[in-house]
Amino acid sequence: MYLSRMKTKLLLAVALLLLSSCVSHPDVPTSSKEAKCQPAIFPDYCDVTVPCNIAPLNFMLPADQYEVCVARLTTPDGQQQTYGKGVKVQIPESEWHKMLGASKGKSIKIEVWGKKQGEWLSFSPFEIYVAEQPIDEYLSYRLIEPSYVAWDYMEIAQRNLTSFKETQIFNNEITMNDKTIGQCVNCHSYQNYKTDNMLFHVRLSNAGTIIVNDGKISKVNLKRDYTISGGVYPSWHPTAKLIAFSTNKTRQGFHTANPNKIEVYDLASDLILYDVLTDSVSVICEDPDLLEVYPTWSPDGKYLYYCKSVPLPEELRDKDIRSTYPKIQYNLYRRSFDMASHNFGEEELVYDAASHNKSATLPRISPDGRYLLFAEGQYGCFHIRHNDGDIVCLQLDDADATLRAQIGEETPSDIDLSKLNSQGLPDSYPTWSSNGYWIMCASRRDDGNFCRVYFSYFNHGKAEKAFLLPQKDPELHVSLLKSYNRPEFMVEPVKISVNEFSRAF
Amino acid sequence: MNKKSKASGAILCVSLLAFIAFVAYILHINQEVLYTAHDRSEFVFGTPFFHTLLSKPFGLMQYVGAWLTQLFCRPAIGTGVMVVIWVLIFCVGTKAFRLQGSASALMLLPIACLLTSIVDLGYWIYIYPVRGYWFSQSVGYLAMLLLLWAARCTPRKWHLVWYLIAVCTYPVLGWFALLFILCLALTEKPTWRELIGLFLLILTASIWHVLLYMNLKSSDVMLAGFPRFETPLDKSERLSIPFWVLGAVSVLIPLYGRYLNRPKVKAFVPTLCAVAGIIFTSTLMFHDRNYTDEMRMVRLASDDNWQEVLAMAEKSKKPTNTMVFLKNIALINEGGLLDRSFKLGNDGVGINSPDSIHVTLLDIASPLVYYNYGMMNEAIRLNFENAIQAGFSPFYLKMLSRCALAKGDEKLVERYTTLLHHRPFYGNWQPAPVTEKVKELQNCFPDELTGVENSESYLINGISLWYETDSKVASEQALLYSMLRCDSRRFWASLRNYVKLHMDEQFPLHAMEAYILYMDKAPEEKRMMLPVEQVVYNRYKQFWDTLEGWAKPGMTLEKVGEKMRSEWGDTYWWYNIFGRKTY
Repeated sequence: MYLSRMKTKLLLAVALLLLSSCVSHPDVPTSSKEAKCQPAIFPDYCDVTVPCNIAPLNFMLPADQYEVCVARLTTPDGQQQTYGKGVKVQIPESEWHKMLGASKGKSIKIEVWGKKQGEWLSFSPFEIYVAEQPIDEYLSYRLIEPSYVAWDYMEIAQRNLTSFKETQIFNNEITMNDKTIGQCVNCHSYQNYKTDNMLFHVRLSNAGTIIVNDGKISKVNLKRDYTISGGVYPSWHPTAKLIAFSTNKTRQGFHTANPNKIEVYDLASDLILYDVLTDSVSVICEDPDLLEVYPTWSPDGKYLYYCKSVPLPEELRDKDIRSTYPKIQYNLYRRSFDMASHNFGEEELVYDAASHNKSATLPRISPDGRYLLFAEGQYGCFHIRHNDGDIVCLQLDDADATLRAQIGEETPSDIDLSKLNSQGLPDSYPTWSSNGYWIMCASRRDDGNFCRVYFSYFNHGKAEKAFLLPQKDPELHVSLLKSYNRPEFMVEPVKISVNEFSRAF
Repeated sequence: MNKKSKASGAILCVSLLAFIAFVAYILHINQEVLYTAHDRSEFVFGTPFFHTLLSKPFGLMQYVGAWLTQLFCRPAIGTGVMVVIWVLIFCVGTKAFRLQGSASALMLLPIACLLTSIVDLGYWIYIYPVRGYWFSQSVGYLAMLLLLWAARCTPRKWHLVWYLIAVCTYPVLGWFALLFILCLALTEKPTWRELIGLFLLILTASIWHVLLYMNLKSSDVMLAGFPRFETPLDKSERLSIPFWVLGAVSVLIPLYGRYLNRPKVKAFVPTLCAVAGIIFTSTLMFHDRNYTDEMRMVRLASDDNWQEVLAMAEKSKKPTNTMVFLKNIALINEGGLLDRSFKLGNDGVGINSPDSIHVTLLDIASPLVYYNYGMMNEAIRLNFENAIQAGFSPFYLKMLSRCALAKGDEKLVERYTTLLHHRPFYGNWQPAPVTEKVKELQNCFPDELTGVENSESYLINGISLWYETDSKVASEQALLYSMLRCDSRRFWASLRNYVKLHMDEQFPLHAMEAYILYMDKAPEEKRMMLPVEQVVYNRYKQFWDTLEGWAKPGMTLEKVGEKMRSEWGDTYWWYNIFGRKTY
């Protein structure tokens, strides 16, 4: 009898232990010392604006300074809940989404207590503003070590932004048949945020471009005898089965002392148009002296935007690019596109970056066509490796400003992105969510080395403080020794499995 | 009868003791190897590393193995845990295979295989990409034996359930799950259950490929966890031998173990097993003086223990190229670079390896060497290049942390040290402060855009070009490396700069030797006149006299060099004529 009671108690204790290990709702400290500042939480979610469908913003206090962290979340309807286990605050998805639902258009108040050397400190509360606009449910990226030359395992992954679920789209091992040369996968791209029409490249072993056309997979070789390479940086036409690519002869060099460490540059680059239905490639522009790169369509498909280098001064033209690379700057241009004939119009200057001694790359037009996002640094085309790389936003429907930009007079109505950009570390690869309310960029701001994904709320030309892609375990950003490369929004997941993709080889 | 039994008991005890003594000796002489095993094995706390391993069959064993490998940071502790696992393998194995008396010595054979597998790697230790290798096979084998023991404790009609359990455990146990099925099937006379077991054995990997591992190549799912030694550049079949033998022994024991209890045979079994195990391990073990000395030197250099590095360099007769670099760095820190460098030898030899393996300074110590020459960007790049292949092990994390500190990237220092702090024995680890010499070297060269060069010659060529520097430390390096290149043009430029920056200082011995040689054999048009010691000049003349004396028909340059090494090997002249390399 006694043994049986003991067993029951033991079982209950185990069950309680298991439960408590799942969710922890600790008590807030009864007494604490006021810290008179906001907590130095990681990631920094203090006073950020988040989508109404984002995954829980789990965070932590620095483990080397604090022993315990407790957070109390209060929604506008007065509901409160506490969280905290060790120095981490991890909120269950269902509870978090209820709180988001109750706070749409308002904010969640967060109070944080931290125990340091046995003493509780209470920090000034902060708010998490919950926007009424959701973010696209999916995000895809390539996960790769911040590499130089070597790489090993590489994958393109997709993440559900409303939860923490991450799955693989493709990896470089399943079809690699020659380990001595390896295999690289890159440049995943989608038509209009949807995944029935998409592509990515496979380089070296088993090389080719995987194109998904209405769900059907094929591997194509985009290299033609009249192009300098196969397709590289892609952009799907928003409605037609057409893809604009740059073709590049890309090289990289390594700085011996410069903090930027790596320089990626093109020896040559042009633009091509690939017709998915006819498997035909036509040249859009191929100036032999200048470099055209990073094509992107306007949301209505009537314009193709791209970057093009500015001619080098005469005295530098015949010199080795390893000495002239700091002088290469790109402006933003566009050409009109006739859907019926597939013809392009004359080149128009959109933004004269060089006149400000800058170089503009990776343009992206907002879904409503009113804003132009791009990355800008002092020189070159690979700002994710430039510490001065920043995201810039221009208002395209401001005719006067555009005119001023074209004549190089001044930066046209630069929208203040100081809350999005980092200080002195690379920010690049900007993109818009499908509803135009969220800007996403890749940034090395956390430590200067590992790229992470940041989001910023954008409304009526105003960008709010950027926040880091939330993770179930906030410490994952420390333990993950890979970079998030080329983050792209999607409104739906890629439904084709890795194995199905591999059958196309 | 009693006497006989006592005698066989005594033979068993003696055999076991002999084998234990052998294992203890082998582990003792491999303590440096085991430390390096921890230093070059990846274990990163947190979910990404865990999930990466678990995305493949046998991943859990690898994770456990990777965690346990951290214990080799204190080789005695790691060794202790390893020995406990092997003792358990012995005990559980005798139960699982139902080996009694003398026959229990058969379990020495699997242990010999596992011991061999950790001491035969040689230079693969620097490039082997499989995580948790050092412990995962022992832990996996122990788990297999536990399953077998449990299965054989149950009635035979339950064996079918055990076959199914084995199929279910394939993602965890990998090839050991298949070995379990085979062993269990072979322990009994074949019936329909055993036939089903063998049928499942064939299908297991395919079932799991379809069920769980569709993102992997089918060849990566088959025989999961069985160590294959393959990198993009290198391949070794030899290193898989212990595992094939382990599998074969495990299959043969249930088949033929029962015959070993015959009176005529059983007396010899313990002796035979112990001897076979000892011969097997001794034959396949990699043992090379330079191999372990080099490891020790890298460890000491990582700790900035330059005095000990020099002490080792003094003892080393034919150092490897890596040891030569580390010795020269030790001389930068301890002083006397241009007085002692050639005395301690600069004619490094290549590595000694039974495989034609591509391991060089690049894999062994390049980030450490580049760091100490202040070439941080290169050090960081090589850290990443190597760690991407071989894993973010303590060696690379420590170097990355030190490089980040030297570059002033505080956040990065924090990140790498946080990763290290989660490891046992690294709770308080902090990167050593950047020395003044490293700081000075770091600022002595301008920025350039380079390619992917990273060989020893790139380092030597690069440093020999620092002859316009304002740094005293860098000017010494430029002079030494121009001498190592035997490049008279760079020597004169370096010497001129060195003299300018080291006014009123003594003319170092090796620089003086080089000066005399180049004044004699490759003078500049506008000669730079420096006073030299008469003793050194007389010795130079004696050197040539001796050389001319040896220059007879039938004598090759190598033979003359060897003849003259004992007397002249400590001079620059000897290096210039006999020890020089093409960089």
